[in-house]
Amino acid sequence: MTYSDTFKEHLANPRNAGTLEGADAEAEQTNPVCGDRLRLALRVRGGRVESARFLAYGCPPTIACGSALAGMLEGMTLEEAARLTRSDITEAAGGLPPRKQHAAALAYETLQEALQQAEARP
Amino acid sequence: MLPFLTGKFGNPSSVHFYGQEARAAVDRARRQVAELFGARPNEVVFTSGGTESNNLAVRGHCETTADYGRHIVTSSIEHSSVRGICEALERRDWEVTRLPVYEDGLVRVEDVRAALRPDTVLVSVMLANNEIGTVQPIAEIGALVRERREAGQKHLRLHTDAVQAASGMRLDVDELGCDLLSVSAHKLYAPKGVGALYVRRGLRLAPQNVGGHQERERRGGTESVPLIVAFGEAARLTRLELEERAERIRSLRDRFESGVESRVADIVYNGDRARRLPGLSNISFRFIEGEGLLINLDMQGVAVSTGSACSSGSLEPSPVIRALGRDDELARGSIRFSLGKDTTEEEIDYVLEVLPRAVENLRRLSPLYQKAVGSRQMAVGSALRVKDVES
Repeated sequence: MTYSDTFKEHLANPRNAGTLEGADAEAEQTNPVCGDRLRLALRVRGGRVESARFLAYGCPPTIACGSALAGMLEGMTLEEAARLTRSDITEAAGGLPPRKQHAAALAYETLQEALQQAEARP
Repeated sequence: MLPFLTGKFGNPSSVHFYGQEARAAVDRARRQVAELFGARPNEVVFTSGGTESNNLAVRGHCETTADYGRHIVTSSIEHSSVRGICEALERRDWEVTRLPVYEDGLVRVEDVRAALRPDTVLVSVMLANNEIGTVQPIAEIGALVRERREAGQKHLRLHTDAVQAASGMRLDVDELGCDLLSVSAHKLYAPKGVGALYVRRGLRLAPQNVGGHQERERRGGTESVPLIVAFGEAARLTRLELEERAERIRSLRDRFESGVESRVADIVYNGDRARRLPGLSNISFRFIEGEGLLINLDMQGVAVSTGSACSSGSLEPSPVIRALGRDDELARGSIRFSLGKDTTEEEIDYVLEVLPRAVENLRRLSPLYQKAVGSRQMAVGSALRVKDVES
């Protein structure tokens, strides 16, 4: 299996890793099959994602997707974030081998949960 | 080897001069390989490698003894080739008992004794494990099998997969008491694509490659002369240098492990640390997944392998690590470090420099680690408060 340079760059220098003080949304999803976990925290100001941070346990695609997702979310409006698809995440991660598409699915599910939380806040 | 790739094209089965030149080279290699494990040359069958040797041993023996019994005893940490063969036989109405290995990764002779039945025809237990390096008590199992055979169970035989063991310990088929023993040349630094099966004199196997008279009708097909010649030379060098290589590799491995211990917390060694090959160190790093570490190290020029499911292409982490009773997290975080005859002290020190950083980077990302650190800080905090109250 070969990974792209972009993918490896996400792995070597993950963007936006960590937790967020005073987050408006903190979502965590687990892949029930392989046990991978992704946590995503968002701080939202005026309908826009001001900061996004992720934590990931799992195979490299899960880390790369977490890094790619958190990196691209910052600056987006919640509407723009809601329009993101799994393939947007895959593309930003530098592509995934066919057997690893589930990592993008996990990132997508975590994003949906985080957006629900953010929208539910007054 | 090179002359047989460039000019000496004879087929060992041909009667003419070119053929005889190749025949002599194959015969010499057969003597060299036989000497590696204390066998007679005609007890050596050349194959394409470890997997074929294991297939010929297990299937070949089972097919000739099926009328006397259809039960095999094996371990739960065999190489995937033996595992796969046993599963295939189960689909053809054979019964297989898989012995546990406990936390130390070792089979117990009492378990073998308890598993043997009147219809058992084969015990197949690897000599040393390829992931954790643990060395099984084959000589004791061999004595037990011989005892049963002498008591009348004359079709019962012992096979051992010595593919991993051959590079790290001296082999002697009589001391081991085995009837069949598999080896692979590339573990001895010869090219890939050649191996051998030791078949004790008097034991008849059903050939798995039929239609050729080669290898005394035990493995049909024209011999790969260059590979066999290289295997012979590698076996000769291994016999000459084994102790010295093993000693050097063991001391490097110990240097590596004590370095890891002093630099990285929350690690667990996999497998008994005394009864194992010198060139393997298998460590689980808590809170992280093995393939992330593998790729991080790979980007820095360090090649390791992992028991994580991601690498193997399956959903389950390494069955070997799971068989030690490790949970999924530890099995997924297991890394196999392999050292060889050409590994240097500088290389070990370089790994000790980059490994702790790679582990630390992945742990900082890990929600499992954050949770563990959080609860430890809380534990430290409450311990301090207790102390304050006491003073």
